[in-house]
Formats: sequence, structure tokens, C-alpha cells
Amino acid sequence: MNFSPDSKVLVQGITEPLGASHAAKMKAYGTNVVAGVSPGHGGQELDGMPIFDLVEQATAAVGMVDTTLIFVQPYWVLDAAYEAIAAGIRQIIIVTAGMPPLDMVQLVRKAEATETLVVGPNCPGIILPGKQLLGTHPTELYSPGKVGLISCMGTLTYEVALELTQAGLGQSIGVCIGSDPIVGSSFAQWLQILDEDDGTHAIVLVGEIAGNGGEEAAARYIAEAIDKPVVAYLAGQQVPQEKLRGHAGTLIASQLLAKEGKEKVNDLNMATRKIEAFKQRKIALADRPSEIVRLLKKVLKKK
Amino acid sequence: MDLLEYQAKELFREMGIPILPSQRIDHPKDIKGLKIPYPVVLKSQVPTGGRGKAGGVKFAANTIDAVAAAQTIFKLPIMGEYPEVLLAEAKYNSQEEFYLAVVLDTGSRRPVLLGSKTGGVEAEAVMSQMQLVVVDQEFSPFYARRLTLMMGLDGPLIQAVSDIVEKMYRLFVKFDLDLVEINPLGVSSTGEVMALDGKVTANDDALGRHSDLVLLGRTKGQVLKGAQSEGELKLKQVEVKGNIGILCNGGGIIRTTMDLLYKAGLKPAAFVNVAGKAQGGWIPGDMCKRIELGLDMVSQDNRVEILLVNIISSLTPCDRIAAAIAAYWQGRTRKGNSGSNLHAIVRMVGSEQEQARDILKDLPVTVVESLDEAISKAITLASR
Repeated sequence: MNFSPDSKVLVQGITEPLGASHAAKMKAYGTNVVAGVSPGHGGQELDGMPIFDLVEQATAAVGMVDTTLIFVQPYWVLDAAYEAIAAGIRQIIIVTAGMPPLDMVQLVRKAEATETLVVGPNCPGIILPGKQLLGTHPTELYSPGKVGLISCMGTLTYEVALELTQAGLGQSIGVCIGSDPIVGSSFAQWLQILDEDDGTHAIVLVGEIAGNGGEEAAARYIAEAIDKPVVAYLAGQQVPQEKLRGHAGTLIASQLLAKEGKEKVNDLNMATRKIEAFKQRKIALADRPSEIVRLLKKVLKKK
Repeated sequence: MDLLEYQAKELFREMGIPILPSQRIDHPKDIKGLKIPYPVVLKSQVPTGGRGKAGGVKFAANTIDAVAAAQTIFKLPIMGEYPEVLLAEAKYNSQEEFYLAVVLDTGSRRPVLLGSKTGGVEAEAVMSQMQLVVVDQEFSPFYARRLTLMMGLDGPLIQAVSDIVEKMYRLFVKFDLDLVEINPLGVSSTGEVMALDGKVTANDDALGRHSDLVLLGRTKGQVLKGAQSEGELKLKQVEVKGNIGILCNGGGIIRTTMDLLYKAGLKPAAFVNVAGKAQGGWIPGDMCKRIELGLDMVSQDNRVEILLVNIISSLTPCDRIAAAIAAYWQGRTRKGNSGSNLHAIVRMVGSEQEQARDILKDLPVTVVESLDEAISKAITLASR
């Protein structure tokens, strides 16, 4: 993984409205955006960033790229990601929402085979406050600090970031892994990355009850492998789940669980299971965003 | 998008999955033109489960019985839904019934094959025998055979059932589906297999590249089932006795807001998520337009007495959000709703806060700084 300040960043879909505005924002924040890609726009420039028709043309001109951000329309994301991988790029952040899940299944297989880190889809990406923006996080809500923030929901990430900023704690890194049913990187992967990051002294994990099941695995991973203090928050604890269900995998998740434990899984014990997964392992669990800061200060003092 | 049984079976036929002779019935009088020999089964085509138990599936031995049965089923709501069509199908004598499905598992991030030797309407019986195979790499029929062996099948049934599973998988991939289910798969005394009931759920995000599927599934109300829709916006109901309407940008922040309301002993009535999808085509004015529309949708719900607006905005300055809220209120006044006691609590994160407060100062709107403050204010208002 390379997110050092001089690492090179590419923007695929740089002429899409969101791509154009954020390529400029990223550059202004200090991100080393070396080029953009947009078929048919090769030879043009955006705020001093050269635009190419193909990723391989961009890498030939500017050298090896570390991270690419994908802003292309949803049905073109898979192709854009394949193109990036073919050009040797091993860190991909997909901002675009609405990518068909089966495209993501194919990308996950490819990413596993090529050891490519995929963040998203449907996510604001990564921010290293004061250093680098790799995505669409509202930079004004962040401030440099020592707390690593991992979340799966966009605006809720910002809410928690704001709490940390207002409390004077700031963030070492903020990452949102995306809220689509199939995402490229897991909570556990990011816990490991942040555990190894020297700039991170404590970790905040923001998950959800109705989510894709990564929360329980995260709780196990925290207990087994994470040495740094962790505070977790799970959104949707009180909400009747059928009102929120949108994830296709919820059905199968409950079927899988039922199979494992030979027990009937309903919405209520889905929430209980996830909460218990953290409580059993004595991982600090906040019951609202503002409580995260209080718990963080406690665990940091203990340390 | 959920397809109805007869639509799902249309896809099964295309894939070569065996189905019984059947005929679509739009009106009880269509029964007279039935080309399937009696006895027949008449099935209500509603997008919900539990049809059989609700009386939506009836056998008929002759035309007179069938017309009467059709009339009854057309008038029978199932989970509040009336059928627009019925499916008349030949009767089948199964010796055994299996459950088969292909579904996307978000945990393993792969499609999985599911199979149970005890299919049918009793969910617990189905689950008790459920077997699962993760299709971790490129699909090949051995995944299907693995499932049939785990299900405990032997002899010719291994190939017969895995053929069906393979075709289900091909269908799943061809149309970007979330779910293909056959329950039950009937097995006759001679070992013939037949898809007796089927369910297909299409992935909404992928529908844009499957116009044939959209065409197939286009019946009244089917696409917008369960949600009032205004462009991309959807109003979702929460508690029947709720009185708080919620408008936020983002699913996570909606969950958090609802959690805090529930914890405070308050009941949300409905919510709308105004976060637009980041699909490249972002337009600055969009967010304000969606807020205005969203407020209108939430407050059309007569139960809503308190509106809770929680917007974390990075691109749109708060004065423009406030202007959208004010515009909504002015429209409301024009419609003659000014006398009602609707009150809004607005929390905005973003730039231009001062101007935003100024724009909202003469309206029945309380502007607060934080989410916790918004909840306290809601508690105060609810106890009026």
C-alpha cells in the first residue's frame, strides 16, 4: 500500500462533472494528481492535468501510477478497473455508485488474483487530513490527528469526522469502504492497514446492523489481531430492519447464519448478534456519534 | 425488481428449464378459452409470498369450478395486493419437492448455489436441509453437481438437478439478477424434474442494460412497489403511529437519526433519503431540488407533525439548502396548509450557516447545530 504524499494519482472519468470537480479539489488539497483519462478527450488539459484516451498512454507519459480514482458511469466501471489493472495500477478507488453487483464479483476475483486493493464502489474514498484527498470527502470537516476512521456509509463518515474534529482529536486517515452490497475491501483489511500505520494511535469503526456482515468479522479480527484501541459504532440498532432492507444479500446472510448455528435468525437477533460480537470481546461500542469521542478519550487515557 | 411467477417462468422457458403448460388469465372469462386440459391449478400473481396459505392457489376440475375459482382469486388481496393476472397451469404429481436458488452473497462476495431436499412452503423444513456452494471462481457445472451431492441426491437425479442449477446460474448472470429461486422443483415418480414455482429478482442498478427484462416486468405498480417515488426519491414508511418525518442525505445518517429518535421514545413516521447517486452526472442545483421534493413527499403524510432535516453538505452551501426549505414552505402556504402545526427542525453542516439561519428565521423552523440538539428539540416539540 502506498499513500505517501508523492505517490502518483490518476483520475479515470476526469471529464465527468463529478470527476472534473473532484480532480481539481484533490489537486488543490495537495494530492499529486498526475493525469486524467477520458476516451475522446486525449490531448486536452484540466487545471494543468493532462488528459489521455487510455490509461496505458497516461502511465507511458507520467510514469507508474500508484492509485486511480474511477468516476466513470456505472456500466463502464468494470472496464475502467480492468484497464487500470492491465496498466499495472494496484490501488483502485471507485467513487461511482450504481455499479451492477455481478460486475463487482468479477472485479473482486480479478483484484484477488492480482493483489489489487479496491475501495468502493459507491464511496467517497480516502482522506489523509492535511496531506492528501483521494475521493470526495468534504475536507473542511477533517483535521490532522491520530485517529483512524473506517466506515461503510458516506455522510455518516463525515458526521463522525466532524465529531472528532470538534473534539480536537482529528484523524490520521478517513476511509469509507462503500455501502454497496459488494465492496472491494473489508473492514478487516482496513483494520490491518491502520494497525500497521504509525500515524494512527486509535481506530474508530463505523458499521451498520443491516450491512453485509463484515461487522462481525471485524469484531473477531479486532480481538485477535489489533493492538491499538478501537471504538465501534453501529448505525441502525433501534430501527426495524425490514424498513431499511435494501441489500440483496440480507436474505442469504440470514440463511447462512441459520445454517451455521441451526437457529432461526430474525431481524432482532441480527442486531443482537452484531452488538454482542463487539460486547463479548469488550470492544468499546458507542451508542451515538457524540459518544464515540467520549469513549475514545477513555481508551486513549487507559493506554 | 421482483418478477411475478408467470414472468419468471417466461425466463425459465427461454433457458430451457422445464415448466408445465400454462396460460395467463387476465379476466375470469378467459377461462373459457383455456387450452390446458383439466384438472388445472389457478394461481394469484402477486409479488408476495404466502399465496397458498392465503387462498390464492386453487385447483379446478372443470370450467365451472375454474371460473368460480378465478373470480374468487381476483377479488382476494394477499398482503394488501390484488392480482392483475392469474396463471392457469396443469396439475403435477410430484413424488418429491426440492428447493433450489442462486443468490449473491455479500459476505463471500460471490454468487452462491442453495439447495434443500425438503422444498415447499414450510420455510423451516426447507432451511433444516439447506446446503450451500460458493461459486468462488468462473462457473462450471461441477459447482452444481457438488450441490446436488451435498443435498444427498444420487443416480440420475444428480445430473437432472445439476442441469437445472446450471441453467439457473446462466440466467442469473445473463440478466444480472439478485435471486433466482425454484421452490418447489417437483420430481415425478419417473425422475422427471419440473419447476413448479419460481421467483426472480432483478438488480435495480443493472436494469438499465436489460431493457427486455424491464419490458417483461412492466405491470402496473410492480416497479414502484412499496414506495412512493418522485424521480429517484423514495418515501419509506416506518411506524404506523409515528409522527416524525425525516429527511437526510445518506442511508447511514438516516439510520443514526432514527436510532436516536427511538432511544428518546419518539416514533418516526416516514423518511426520505435525498442523497443523489454519484454517477458522474452531478449537477450543483440537484441537491436543493431533491430537498424541496423530499420535504413535499414527507409532509404529504398527514401523520407528520415534526419534520427533522439533517443534511451534511459538502458541495452545496447551507444558504442554498435553506432557500430550498423556504421555497418548499412558501409552496405549502400557497396550497393553504399554513394553518397546520407542522414544525421543522433543521440541522445543516456546511458553509454559509449565518445566511441560512437568516433565510429561515420567519418560518416555523428551528435551526440547530448538532444531531444531539436536534433530538432534544424533537423531544420538546413532541411533548407539546
